Amino acid sequence: MKNILEIRHLSHSYGNEISIIKDFSFILKDGEIASIIGASGIGKTTLLRIIAGLEEPAEGEVRIKEELVSSKNFMLPPEKRNLGLVVEDRALFPHLNIKKNVMFGINNIEEKESLTRYYLELFKVLDLEEKFPHEISAGQQQRVAFARALITDPDILLLDEPFAALDKRLKSELHLETKKIFKEKGLSVILVTHDEEEAEYFSDKILVFQEDKIIVR
Amino acid sequence: MSPILIILFSLLGDYSENWQHIYKYVLTDYIVNSLILVSGVSTLVIIIGSVTAWIVTNYQFVGRRFFEWGLILPLAIPPYILAYTFTGLFDSYGTLNEIARSIFNLQQSESLFPNIRNIYGAILVFSFTLYPYVYLICRTAFLNQSRSMFEIGRTLGLSQKLIFLKLALPVVRPALIAGTMIVAMETLSDFGAVDHFAVSTFTTGIFRTWYGMYDLTTAMQLASMLLIFITFCLVIERMSRRNASFSTISSNFKPTSVKKVSSQQSILCFVICFVPIFIGFILPILEILNWSLRLNSGFFEKHFFSISFNTILLSVFSAILCTFIAMLINFSIRYQNSSTIKSINPFLNIGYAVPGLILAVGIVQLFVFLDNNLLNSFEGYFVTGSIFGLIFAYIIKSYALANSTYEAGYQKISQTLDDSARILKSKGMNLLFRVHFPLLKTSFFTSILLVTSEVVKELPATLILRPFNFETLAVSTYIYASEERMIEAAAPATAIILIGLIPIFFLTKMIRASRLEGRK
Repeated sequence: MKNILEIRHLSHSYGNEISIIKDFSFILKDGEIASIIGASGIGKTTLLRIIAGLEEPAEGEVRIKEELVSSKNFMLPPEKRNLGLVVEDRALFPHLNIKKNVMFGINNIEEKESLTRYYLELFKVLDLEEKFPHEISAGQQQRVAFARALITDPDILLLDEPFAALDKRLKSELHLETKKIFKEKGLSVILVTHDEEEAEYFSDKILVFQEDKIIVR
Repeated sequence: MSPILIILFSLLGDYSENWQHIYKYVLTDYIVNSLILVSGVSTLVIIIGSVTAWIVTNYQFVGRRFFEWGLILPLAIPPYILAYTFTGLFDSYGTLNEIARSIFNLQQSESLFPNIRNIYGAILVFSFTLYPYVYLICRTAFLNQSRSMFEIGRTLGLSQKLIFLKLALPVVRPALIAGTMIVAMETLSDFGAVDHFAVSTFTTGIFRTWYGMYDLTTAMQLASMLLIFITFCLVIERMSRRNASFSTISSNFKPTSVKKVSSQQSILCFVICFVPIFIGFILPILEILNWSLRLNSGFFEKHFFSISFNTILLSVFSAILCTFIAMLINFSIRYQNSSTIKSINPFLNIGYAVPGLILAVGIVQLFVFLDNNLLNSFEGYFVTGSIFGLIFAYIIKSYALANSTYEAGYQKISQTLDDSARILKSKGMNLLFRVHFPLLKTSFFTSILLVTSEVVKELPATLILRPFNFETLAVSTYIYASEERMIEAAAPATAIILIGLIPIFFLTKMIRASRLEGRK
């Protein structure tokens, strides 16, 4: 399997504060699912944001498909990295209906309709396509967020606590469905979570963020 | 409501020959000019207000902290004063053209700056004094947008520029429409600036019909048409505000982060934010200073003190009265939970949207009716042309300000406090003055200051309703400017601007507070 993501000697800190990520290196293979677990404020989301290009690393570099995307002196903008991102608060665009939210990242006019329909069906939200985000439930919103992120066929899917706001029943329902989709599509995924069980369920690799080190399990 | 209803009922009455004349020759001008004015001003305020709000909210650049509140400074200058200073600056013998002649060795017949006394000049004047309404409303909306939404947008292929155009702006559309509608209402209501630039609009038409043709009925019929148009704007504004579905705030809301920019981009951001303040605030202040220096010792003459005294007395009295009314109404709503008062209160707020000129026409009609039918035991007119009319108009126009201040204050006082006080046998006025009043002191004084500064700026209603030979700062500025005695207009104009800075001070405090909240 090829390396889809390579992180080399990455360090990061906020202002003059103590560094939150220190000399961290990691490789994610194509089709692998890795989870990041650890206490709040320890740098899990920061690592995800550095991979996404939303934050600049202080030291080290990030490569996607062997291409350098982040280093101290170079930053490929997030829109050029071909990544998918799903966050806890869904961040659906409130002025667009569900269908338009899902097709937002597609530029190919010919495929737009068919792809959108496929992903709406895949995540069981086709009947909601005309509704607006505030008109559907949290679970349905999260399904839409997954559909919107996957429709662009991202090289890596970044998930920042996507199931945290859901109740237990919805969570296990979505766990089952999303894992099946990830595996069927051979997606490379990085999942940030507080929930150790969730991490165990999804992952091929688990990164445990501790105060002074990061352990890869 | 009665002054407004009186005006609307005029539509059902007879139409005079003057109406036929207006309908045939000038009504189209009024409609077309008003539409050009509103569309031009709306377009410019949307661009200036939204772009500056976006830059200030999202980028770290030179002077950002100043611009956060500095961009609202033009609100201190009423459009009519900006219009007067613009003519002083850009007329063919105006200050800037004179400077240009001496720098570029131009002939006396040549001018570098074009004539500003036209509809395009009026569009610029309104845009650069009123854009802060859009800026304020957009800034609040941008501050409330979730960072996650923009980050997702970036991963879905949008550049930073496209994030603004395709995500940020569409999401704040309801707020943007609401702000623009306020600007449209202010533009349509104005009299001083359009009159000075000789642009025929509804307000100048109403004034001319009344004072030129002495035809109050036709003036009221014209006023009704304007009122209907303004009501339309008001309805859109209210509907836009109600559209909460565009809110992106969720329980785990992450505020937008401020991005550092390169030094070139920082200069660009500085220039974009500085230009509106320069045109809308610094330039007019410089011109007024120029007039003041030319006036020498005459700046603070006896007449100035007399009109300042009139203005302050009238505005403070109206403000106290208006604040007490708002306090009593809000207290009644809370204490008695009366559905009648609750349902009446929103109607009392409509006054702010009614143009001063229309309000004045309605009040004159109402007072003439009262004098002729109910107060006819007094010799001559008792309330018509008296100071009562002015105070009445000011209260109607400013009630919304006082009410919103009290509503905000009451929201912060827990109902359990009232319950405890009532168990301790404090009720009615006792509860109001022993418990609520001390807690709402800030609301009380804020309301007085806000209403005072609003009343000081009010021109058309004062011009029409003032008693004979009674002048205020606004009227005095108008009279001097209409006689092209700009230098003499400096003193009252300066006083109006200084008083206009009072609400800016409060808004600045609010902006700082919102920034601190954003960081939490």
